[in-house]
Amino acid sequence: MKKSFVIKRILYAVFIFFVVLTLNFFIPRIGIDDPAERYYPPQGGMSDIEYEIIKQITREQYGFHVSTWQQYLNYLEDLSQFNLGVSLRSGSPRVSALIGERLPWTLVLSVTTLIISLFIGVLIGTVAAWKRGRWQDTLLLNASTISVALPAFFIALMLSFYLGFELELFPAYTNPNMVAQFDWSWEAIRVVANNAALPVISMAIGGIVGYGQNTRNSVIAVTNEDFILTARAKGLKQNTILYKHTLRNAMLPIVTSLGMSISGLIGGAIIIEQIFNWSGMGTLFLEANSTGDYPLMMGIMLFLSTFAIIANLVTELFYVVLDPRVTVGEKR
Amino acid sequence: MKRKIALLSLVVVLAGCLTACGAGDYARRTDDTNTMYVGVVQASFPTAFMPWLSREGIAPTIASTVYNTLFSYDDETGNFDGIIGKDWYYVDADGEPILTDEGRIDYERLEAEFANRNHLAVKVILHDNVTWSDGTPLTASDVFYTYDLATNNYLSNHAGALAWTADLRHGYDQNTGARTRLGLFYYGNRHEHTYDIPEEDKDTVLYMHVNTVLGAVTSLFTTILIIPRHIWEPVVCRENQLNARDPSGELLDCYCNPIGSGPYTLDTERSGSSMIVLNRREDYHLTDDDGGPLYKVDTIKFMLYQELNVAIYALMKGHIDVLHSSISSNYIRLFDDREDIFVSNAEGVYVQTLVLNVNPIESERNPIRDLLGDVDFRRAIALAIDPDELIEQVANGAAYRTSAGLMRERMEDFYNPDANILAGDQEEKLEEANEILDGIVPEKDAQGYRLLDGQRISYDILGHPHEQELISFLQIQMQKIGIEVNYAAKGSQPENTFLYTSRFDMTIHGVIFSLANVDIMYNAHFVQLGRTSNYGRLQDDALRTGIREMRNTLNLHRKYELIIELQPVIAEQYYKIPLYTSNVISIARTDRYTGWQVVPGSTAYNSDSLQNVQRVGED
Repeated sequence: MKKSFVIKRILYAVFIFFVVLTLNFFIPRIGIDDPAERYYPPQGGMSDIEYEIIKQITREQYGFHVSTWQQYLNYLEDLSQFNLGVSLRSGSPRVSALIGERLPWTLVLSVTTLIISLFIGVLIGTVAAWKRGRWQDTLLLNASTISVALPAFFIALMLSFYLGFELELFPAYTNPNMVAQFDWSWEAIRVVANNAALPVISMAIGGIVGYGQNTRNSVIAVTNEDFILTARAKGLKQNTILYKHTLRNAMLPIVTSLGMSISGLIGGAIIIEQIFNWSGMGTLFLEANSTGDYPLMMGIMLFLSTFAIIANLVTELFYVVLDPRVTVGEKR
Repeated sequence: MKRKIALLSLVVVLAGCLTACGAGDYARRTDDTNTMYVGVVQASFPTAFMPWLSREGIAPTIASTVYNTLFSYDDETGNFDGIIGKDWYYVDADGEPILTDEGRIDYERLEAEFANRNHLAVKVILHDNVTWSDGTPLTASDVFYTYDLATNNYLSNHAGALAWTADLRHGYDQNTGARTRLGLFYYGNRHEHTYDIPEEDKDTVLYMHVNTVLGAVTSLFTTILIIPRHIWEPVVCRENQLNARDPSGELLDCYCNPIGSGPYTLDTERSGSSMIVLNRREDYHLTDDDGGPLYKVDTIKFMLYQELNVAIYALMKGHIDVLHSSISSNYIRLFDDREDIFVSNAEGVYVQTLVLNVNPIESERNPIRDLLGDVDFRRAIALAIDPDELIEQVANGAAYRTSAGLMRERMEDFYNPDANILAGDQEEKLEEANEILDGIVPEKDAQGYRLLDGQRISYDILGHPHEQELISFLQIQMQKIGIEVNYAAKGSQPENTFLYTSRFDMTIHGVIFSLANVDIMYNAHFVQLGRTSNYGRLQDDALRTGIREMRNTLNLHRKYELIIELQPVIAEQYYKIPLYTSNVISIARTDRYTGWQVVPGSTAYNSDSLQNVQRVGED
């Protein structure tokens, strides 16, 4: 791997991070010209002077009493100390603590979903490509059309109602005690697996079809390459051609989509988490949004953006390892 | 080898499936204790309970259950009902009550003697048997500390508390924390005042000075939750403000383990971000008529649901007893054949109105918008709206008509039927509306829309997406008088974007006027300019004078008279045109508890229900 390519990618990632950080500061401030009037509209028999005092106090509380430029500098200073600030919710918990509480639960869902989607998707896609034009292939194509037409939240609601509420095969929504009572015992892990079943299935359906479709197309493209023809001509076994030559070369687009999936891993699935009462990052963002908790919103956005930038950087670098031709576009 | 791997994979998958399979753990189904499961639809539950919680979501419900205010306000009678407070009255300079011979507040004397004074003195008498949940008696010292802290932002850092105590003539310098005015008097600071508080009354008597308006005591009595001095005084200081932005460990400990004087305590062991558990206090000072517990439920479990449909199904399947969130009237048919489900169709308190921009700022004026400044033009718009059809079509019948005076008919003593000037036959109203408009803007285009200087009269109605059905209905109604209206998205911060800046024609806005808030709300909706609810910037001398008199009079009877007199004046402005008042529809199961109470503006889970429910199978 070329060193200059790596340095350029890293510098580019740092630049993107700085742009994101700046946007993250300014966008939530659009429309919040005076937090005092938002949080404390006039009430009681307050005189204008009294209300002005209240407004001034509120501005100081939220750091709006200094210029926007100064607020931005304060924000950068806090970030340099890894301080994402405190939430506006009762008890003023630290944003980083709230993210820390929710992140593992989102990872439980998203990593499980990713593994299942990837494993089954690649398997189905390979079979469909290998059996091109036969019922396996037709099934995948039809499933793909249906999964595009049915949004994940609809699938989630249907699963919750039929498998959860009606048939009671799985919990219809997360047990409220699951997080509080989790203690790494087998029973606690079983409860988590039990409660995660429907959210994971809801999220995985789209992923399986997506990876399957990607794999199918990629495998078909590689199958038509000359070297596969040569391998066949050499009389290699079908399995050897499939696993050693076809799949290895078909991996590149799958790695790309995997990289994109990883960058979205911790964002959670807002609607899925909401339907199943799953206390993850998605619902945390929803809470912040619905209560106007902009320090929390900013913290989550920055955290998600940073993770996405790092994930993309790693994917790009990994891409180079898989296919050295990627650096061809770079200046020599 | 490959077969072994395949077999192992199969075993792992099967083990995973077996682990993941299994119905949820729905505790209510097997719970035979006196525990009520209450579903709440919101984004999250608080886990730290700063005593003066925000007013969003479940927080006020928990706060008012764990803590108490001095009194509660009865909107229908205008009286304060005792909670921590037992009695109260205005007093003269010697501390003598200003009462009539019948023991009621003598408003005539109050007006005669105190109208020109800079304050009113109020004596509050507390119940002598109130205790905190840790067993410590609640005394006047706690009430003093609470109000004193609320006025002292230097220690409380709570701007809301400053607003609640704005009418209390007691305060501190916000920068130094030095007291600037003394307006709270109890036995503990007797050396600073002349009120005579005998030793035997030292725990139960408190005096306060408030601004010379009758509404001054309302937020003091009914909004501020009294907090225990012995818990907070040792902790709260300049570095550890009550509402700290970055609370210390000991402060967080106080937040997470609230000690209150309310009927329930927080079960900190069993509560979390998805469930809040409250246990009834057996030593709560208020009891029912038989001396038994006032609240009939031993334990209340609030269960978090983030999605309304899921919560409704959870109730239908018996996972919860009651849903503490209102539901749309569209859902009612779901429960038609369900005898085990009680549907509470309670009268709402929010009046939906169509607000017209009658007086835009100069830069936002245009000829078509200026038409809204004409009261006759506004009357035509108001007449065109058919409230009965609106209720039937938009609210599915689960709403009721509201007078143009915007006061609810249920408030019999204060409702003025003369303000109901938009009642009548719709055909005749429509005819009258068209006659009015024919006199103002007679010209019409080929589609039948009226023209002003050749331009079609067209307005945007600002609304949220869920109000589109209502606005579509208004579109049809307005077509009948030749006025075009269209939906325009309100956005997330309409006040700053459109309303305060006069950049709108019409908007949908819910209003609540009650005896408890008319002092503030009439002013905010019809008088004050700038950043208030008077979005259309109405300015009417008669209304302004009447509202000022109503706010300032010390004669309660006159105040009530003025509230009645002001309703037709408000109605005749056709400024906030009433559309409907939605019912609050909620559901509860009847297989464990019966006796759910229907309370205006509330869901089936309410204080009255808690005081009246009975467990099925028990006498």
